[in-house]
Order: sequence, then C-alpha cells, then structure tokens
Amino acid sequence: MLSMLLFIFVIFILMLGYPVAFTLSGVSIIFAIICSFTNNFDLTLLFALPSRIFGIITNETLVAIPMFIFMGIMLEKSKIAERLLEAMSSLFSKVKGGLGISVIIVGALLAASTGIVGATVVTMGLLSLPTMLKQKYDVKIATGTILASGTLGQIIPPSIILILLGDVMSSSYQEAQNMLGIFSQESISVGDLFAGAIFPGLILVGLYIIYIVYIAHFRSDLIPEYKSKKNFTAKEIILSLYSPLFLILIVLGVIILGIATPTEASSFGAIGSTLLAFINKKLNLEILRDVVIQASKITSMIFILLIGATIFSLVFRGLEGDIFINNTLSNLPGDIYFKLSIVMFAIFLLGFILDFIEITYVVIPVVAPILLSMGIDPVWLGILIAINLQTSFLTPPFGFAIFYLKSVIPKGIQTVDIYKGVIPFIVIQIITIILIIIVPEITTWLPNKIFG
Amino acid sequence: MNIISKKIDFFNEKIGILTSYLCIPMILITFLVAFMRYVLDFGSIAIQEIIIYLHALIFTIGAAYTLKNNMHVRIDIFYNKFSIRKKKFIDFYGTIFFLIPTCLLIFITSYNYVLSSILLLESSKESGGLPILYVLKIYILLLSLTLFLQAISELFKNYNGKNF
Repeated sequence: MLSMLLFIFVIFILMLGYPVAFTLSGVSIIFAIICSFTNNFDLTLLFALPSRIFGIITNETLVAIPMFIFMGIMLEKSKIAERLLEAMSSLFSKVKGGLGISVIIVGALLAASTGIVGATVVTMGLLSLPTMLKQKYDVKIATGTILASGTLGQIIPPSIILILLGDVMSSSYQEAQNMLGIFSQESISVGDLFAGAIFPGLILVGLYIIYIVYIAHFRSDLIPEYKSKKNFTAKEIILSLYSPLFLILIVLGVIILGIATPTEASSFGAIGSTLLAFINKKLNLEILRDVVIQASKITSMIFILLIGATIFSLVFRGLEGDIFINNTLSNLPGDIYFKLSIVMFAIFLLGFILDFIEITYVVIPVVAPILLSMGIDPVWLGILIAINLQTSFLTPPFGFAIFYLKSVIPKGIQTVDIYKGVIPFIVIQIITIILIIIVPEITTWLPNKIFG
Repeated sequence: MNIISKKIDFFNEKIGILTSYLCIPMILITFLVAFMRYVLDFGSIAIQEIIIYLHALIFTIGAAYTLKNNMHVRIDIFYNKFSIRKKKFIDFYGTIFFLIPTCLLIFITSYNYVLSSILLLESSKESGGLPILYVLKIYILLLSLTLFLQAISELFKNYNGKNF
C-alpha cells in the first residue's frame, strides 16, 4: 500500500510543475527515508543505484537517441522540413485536400525523428497552420490534422519512443520468462518493434488521408479547392521532396530489414541530413552549433529522466509495489483481455498527466512483465500501448498535444474548435486499436517474417 | 551569492556547449564502425567503446547545462499559469527537497563504487576493449557534482529574485 501512496504522491507533486526527473527521484528519496524509520524500507537497496546508472550509460541501443534527434533537428533548422512540405503540397495540389495530405505525411516522418510530443506538435503547428488557414481550411480540420499527424510520429519508426519502449519491453519480456521459469528465453529488439509498428502506422496514415479526402470532396465549405500558384521545377522537386524522403526511407529500411542496428542507421541518418543541408546550401557553422546544442539538451533531458525514473522504481520496488500490482492484477476477475483493458485504460488516463517517456520507464516496467507472463505477445502489447498513448495525448480536455498546440496558434482560435476538430481523429485511433486487437497479425506478422 | 551563481552558470554553460560538440565525432565514429564492419569486415571493440564514452559524456555533463537553460521537462499544465513569484517558490523548494537530495544520493551511493573501480584501474570486460573503464564510472560522479553546482546556482537565482 505504501508503494501506491508513493505513486499517488508523485503524481500530485508532479502537477506543481517542478522538473519531472527530479520530482520522481526527490519524492522517492523522501519517501524512502521516512519509510526506513518505520522499517518498511531498507535504505541499502539504494546502493543498487550506481550500477543502474552505469547500465543506462553503457546501453548501446540508447546511443541511437541523440543521433536521431540530431537528424530531426537538422532537417528542421536547415528548413528541409519546410521545403518538403511545400514541395509535397505543390505535387498534391491537383488532388483535393492536397495540403492536408502533405501535412499528415510530413508530420509523420518528421515527428518520428524527434519523438517528443510537444516539440513535434509545436513545429508542425508553426510550419503548417498558417499555410492551411491561408488556403481557407476550416480551423477544426486544420488543428485536428496537425494534432493527429504531430503525435503520429510516436509510433512511426524510427521514433525515439519505440527505441525506449523496445528497451523496456525486452527487459520486461526477460523478467516475464524468468517468472515462468523458462530457461531458453526468447528476446525482442527495437527492430521487432519498428517492424511491428509499420502496418499500424500505415493504417493510421491511410485512414487520416481518407478522412481528409472525404471532407475535401463532400464538404468544400471546410476544405475549399485551391490552385497552387507556385510551380516547382523538376530539380527542386528532387532536392526538396525526394531526397529527404529517400533518406528517411533508407534509414528505416536498413533497420527493418535487419541490415544495420538502429544505432548504426541513426548515424547514417545524422550524416545524411547534414549532407542534405549542405546540398541545399543551408549548412553553416551557426546551424551546426544550434543543432548539436539542441540535440545535447534534448538528449540530457531524456537520460536524466531515465535516471529519475530509475530512482523512483528502486524505491517503488523496495516498497513491494511490483508485488502489489502483480497481486492486484492476478486477483482481478475475468480473462487476459479484461485485465489488459484495465491496464490500457489506466495508461490512457495516465497519458493525461505523464509524457511518453515517463510512462515507458515508470509504469510499463511494473505492468508489462505480468501481462507478458500471461502469454501476451510483447510486440503486440508494445504497439497497443504506443497507439493508446497517442490517443490519450489527443483527447480533450487534458490531452498533452492540445496544450502544446494552443501555445503556438494565433489568437482568436477557439479551444472548442480544436476539441471538435480532433474528435474524428480519435475515432480513427479507436478503430485502429480495435482492428489490432481483433487481428494481432497486423503487428506480429512483419517482425516474425523478418526476424523469425 | 550573485557572483557565485554567475560563475557556476558560466562554467556549466561552457562545458555544456563543449561536450555538445562531441555529438559530431560520435556520429562519425559510429558510421565508420558500421562501414568497417559491413564493407571491410573489420571490427574493433575499442573504437566501439569510444562511442559509449562520447555519448555518456554528452548527457552526464549536459544535465547541468540543460538545467541552467530550463530545458528539463515539466508537467506545466498548471505551472504555466502560475505567477512568477509562485514559479520561483516552486523552483526554490523543489531544488532544496528534490534536486539536491537526488545529487547527494547519486554521489553518496556511487562514491565507493567509483573509487574501488579507480583503485583497481578497472578495464573493459571485453577483450580488446579500452583499459579505462573507471573513467566511464567517474562520469557518474561528474554528473552529480555538476548538477549539484547548478542546483546551488538555481537556488541563489530563485532566492534573489524575490522574497516569497
């Protein structure tokens, strides 16, 4: 019970707004000290901390994170992302709703490389909202599209989130097999999750696009027809459209096909994005400086969060929180699916207050081993959690993404309009989740095919 | 107090920016390692380990720099709406009760762990790895020290700003 008290306390104190990493660790330390007086916590457990931190420092998979961030920021700062959006919408200008389609595709690709909800939604908001409004898109449609595509990148590989999730899921899977006493253990990798995310990602993108095309055809009051004045030359199209797309697809392809590890592919992506900036004559020392500094800040932010979450989980487990959760889940009536839905609903609610990384490192290590030991497929579970959280970030009134978008939209746009605009996309999310639950092969077929 | 705070900020800013640039050799070496492995069929554990050393230094040193620039993620649903006075209040007490204990915990628990590694001159477990594994462990102490210094600076800044 003390462990649950710690959890609830942490959540409340997080609301005050002190940095998450230090709140997680600080509250846990205070709790540990108090509980040690009443003999409910053994302080020597905390001496496991240095080896845990050392584990984070030497984790080779996580090295991919700064390099993918570098790639994303380079694409953004060198205006390649902006040009990509322009070129794509000019290419699609003959299609009704062409700009909306472009925003979805560019958002999905760009978001993948930074993987931080706030950053992507803000970038996409600044990048595409003015253009969409200029083309007389209805405010509801425009904001809904930006929110959906900005958060979509979380599950489109190579997303940072999937790398972290892969790291956590693989240790949870190992733990689950230990619990079952299995010696010849199977393992899952980041590559498995990347491959598993491909079809669900495509389904989501496809459904978003169908929705936009439908609106453009039948509700011209919401998406009016637009004649593009600017014509891109063939050279510009190759430079602005095909080369960044090509880069992202190669990076993704070599990982999915198992040719290179995510870390190796990320270095290629970072170099490729720098070369693209150079070819576009946008590379200079100032940009390079901006990119490395920005990448280093985001990387530090992520890794300090991991360390904070580690301290929390040391204390949480010391207070037997994992045993408590395990007992609660096993004593729940109903079958695996019922238990799974309870966990999913809890994660959905937590998504209102915690960002993806916190949930990945604080909540998932506690619940995943139990669910996995009940025979649930790790890739399937990982992807379900990812889409579930994406939906949570979109859902009014608490969805994270909505707050971020609100911070960059022009005054005069009503919050209610954003809420209304995002609802069709939430329906699409729910349809996709149901589809994945009914047909798990959507997530498991490709990884099995590739990695056996 | 102002001078101390400025000095700490200056120090952490400088080393933070300096270590940011390690990103570039890290990217190049990772690419080189992959290239050597796939094209030349040649692998080197030592070079691979250099990547880890560079990567870890970026965020162990970058943590304090990130704090100085207020880039550590917050749940800012309410925080954004607070007055400056209230924000300073939260940051002041958050630093005292959460951040400083965190730095102390990391330092206290890691001290012997790192010291014994240094005294043993511990080297990589892999054959052909770098013989300086203790350096990587020293990073943990560096992290807690630079973060602690920055915490002190933030404390002064939030206290000086206004008496709440």
